Amino acid sequence: MALALTTTFTKSTVKFLEERLLLLTISCGPVRNKSKQNPKPRLRNPTWFTQKHRVSSDDNVTLENKEFLKEVVQDRYFNVDNEISKDLASNVIWRPGLQRTGVMARKIGIYPMWLKTGKKISTTLLQVLDNHVIKYYPPEDYDPQVKRVGRIYNRKGCLLLGAEGADPSTFTREYCGLFKDSGVIPKRHLARFFVSPDAVLPAGTLISALHFQAGNYVDVRGLTIDRGFQGVMKRHGFKGMPASHGVTKTHRRGGNIGGGGEKGRVWPGTKMPGHMGNRYRILRGLKIWRINTKYNVLFVSGQNIPGATNSIVYIYDTKLPARKPAEPLPFPTYIGTGEELSENIFDKEIHEFSEPTIVYSDKN
Amino acid sequence: MLSTTPRLALSRQLKNFRRFATATTTPAEQPVKDKSDTRKNVLEYRQIYPEFLPDPKIEFRNPIREKLERSDMIARRANVDIPEFYVGSVLAVTSADRHSPGKLHRFVGICIKREGCGLRANFLLRNVIDHQGVEILYDMYDPTIKGIEVLRLEKRLDNELLYLRDALPEYSTFDSNMEIEILPEGAPVPVNEIKVKLKPRPWLDRWERKNLKGVQDLELPQRFYDRAKELETPWEKYDLMKQYMRTVPEEEQVEIFSEVQTHLHRSGAAQKLKRKRTFVKPTKLA
Repeated sequence: MALALTTTFTKSTVKFLEERLLLLTISCGPVRNKSKQNPKPRLRNPTWFTQKHRVSSDDNVTLENKEFLKEVVQDRYFNVDNEISKDLASNVIWRPGLQRTGVMARKIGIYPMWLKTGKKISTTLLQVLDNHVIKYYPPEDYDPQVKRVGRIYNRKGCLLLGAEGADPSTFTREYCGLFKDSGVIPKRHLARFFVSPDAVLPAGTLISALHFQAGNYVDVRGLTIDRGFQGVMKRHGFKGMPASHGVTKTHRRGGNIGGGGEKGRVWPGTKMPGHMGNRYRILRGLKIWRINTKYNVLFVSGQNIPGATNSIVYIYDTKLPARKPAEPLPFPTYIGTGEELSENIFDKEIHEFSEPTIVYSDKN
Repeated sequence: MLSTTPRLALSRQLKNFRRFATATTTPAEQPVKDKSDTRKNVLEYRQIYPEFLPDPKIEFRNPIREKLERSDMIARRANVDIPEFYVGSVLAVTSADRHSPGKLHRFVGICIKREGCGLRANFLLRNVIDHQGVEILYDMYDPTIKGIEVLRLEKRLDNELLYLRDALPEYSTFDSNMEIEILPEGAPVPVNEIKVKLKPRPWLDRWERKNLKGVQDLELPQRFYDRAKELETPWEKYDLMKQYMRTVPEEEQVEIFSEVQTHLHRSGAAQKLKRKRTFVKPTKLA
């Protein structure tokens, strides 16, 4: 009897102990992992980041079927009239607080122009591509990758734009699906632009070069040319060291990178060799000198716009406070009034090439 | 001897061009769309108007930019007469100048360099004024240029005459009151085979390495020629790929010149007419 009692007692104690231990683990767990309570944010790509290009395979499509596919594309995207731009006109007039959409453009080259004073300036030509609105994310729906802390005033929505329509059969089904609601042909390039909720554009709207006006200023963002791993002379413009006078093995080196004593270490941000280029850079406050309406080309000041010729750049209204436009901009975008525009719209300071030779008089 | 055959061919072509240009009095009569004519003319046009051909560097090319550039060039040419000239021709350029009396400045000099394409095309004029060498770099499409006169239309043996900076001053001295020397009707552009005498070293460049044809014996020690021989790249003229990358294909040239042909033809015909009207026997100066 006593033996049975002891066995039951031991059993119950073991059970009791187990429960205690379990409790302990539960109660101890969160305390121990407190440092891991805010895990590193998972990389969330935007919703439009999908596999873009289809693996090209020889599908044994006959010539007739290829023709048929072309016809389908034609019927689907070109033989329909998208009368979207009718309800574009809004009664909101642009004011400095409102942010309009930007556009995607192609940097097509650089050439000089002359001012009426005879001064030569160099301009970069940016060809505004066939930008269509694909989708709009209202401020409450858009979930940014990097969230801002604190209260946000003046929240912006996100406008997804596509540029450069291409053959849909080269893209994946998923990628083509992005363009379904807007009714535009799938585009090679996508970009998002933050806009004020008043500046929203309906899906399928075309944005032309006349979204901007000659004489105003823009910011241009582009991917700089990838130059690989470079030394300090090319990367940071260091002077290098003499070519002769006893200098050995140190002609293009940076020299000293830090002092001794208390500062005896390499300070963060020291200019050293490394990878150069292939980063997004914004050049701000560039003047639009001329607009070609036939080819949708903006002539923008400067010859240092990030990116190689024929690369894609993004154009925004400038953020520099001193270069904000004095007069209201076309809002939310330019709507054709139906009247014929001249092929070239010049800034008033520019000497047009078709004008007679510059003559100075005693007055000027 | 290498250069004589292409030059001969060129002069023949130019002669053809002149005949062609004078035969048609009105450009409207000329069938512009004729492809074979265009192909024939391209050979001449690319000598006379080299700046209409784009930079052959493939990474800088863009058809829309080139088209816009050409239309701007044509628009400028409607306001100023930019004549046919070559390196070695003597030009007089009149340009607007804020600081000179009368607000105009006229400079006479020999063209020693011509480069750039499109609106960036420029030429370098050199003259010696008061024993001081003076050079001015002009942009061809600069709207301050009021007029370009060709005082003496000729070519030299080299494509660049930068060695005139190291030559005796008499080779680059030209009278600022020089009169226009008229070529007889239909004559090819003459090649001046003058050999320039350089001053003794030091020079601005190692001219013995440049394979120059228009200079007299450089009178250097043998080691300079040996080194020049070591560094020369005679195989480059057989490098077809390099040649291809340095030039615009002929099909494209035809396309480009057929686009601007009517305008060029009009200005070229006007130039011929002007040359025909004012025939004055050249007078010797200085």
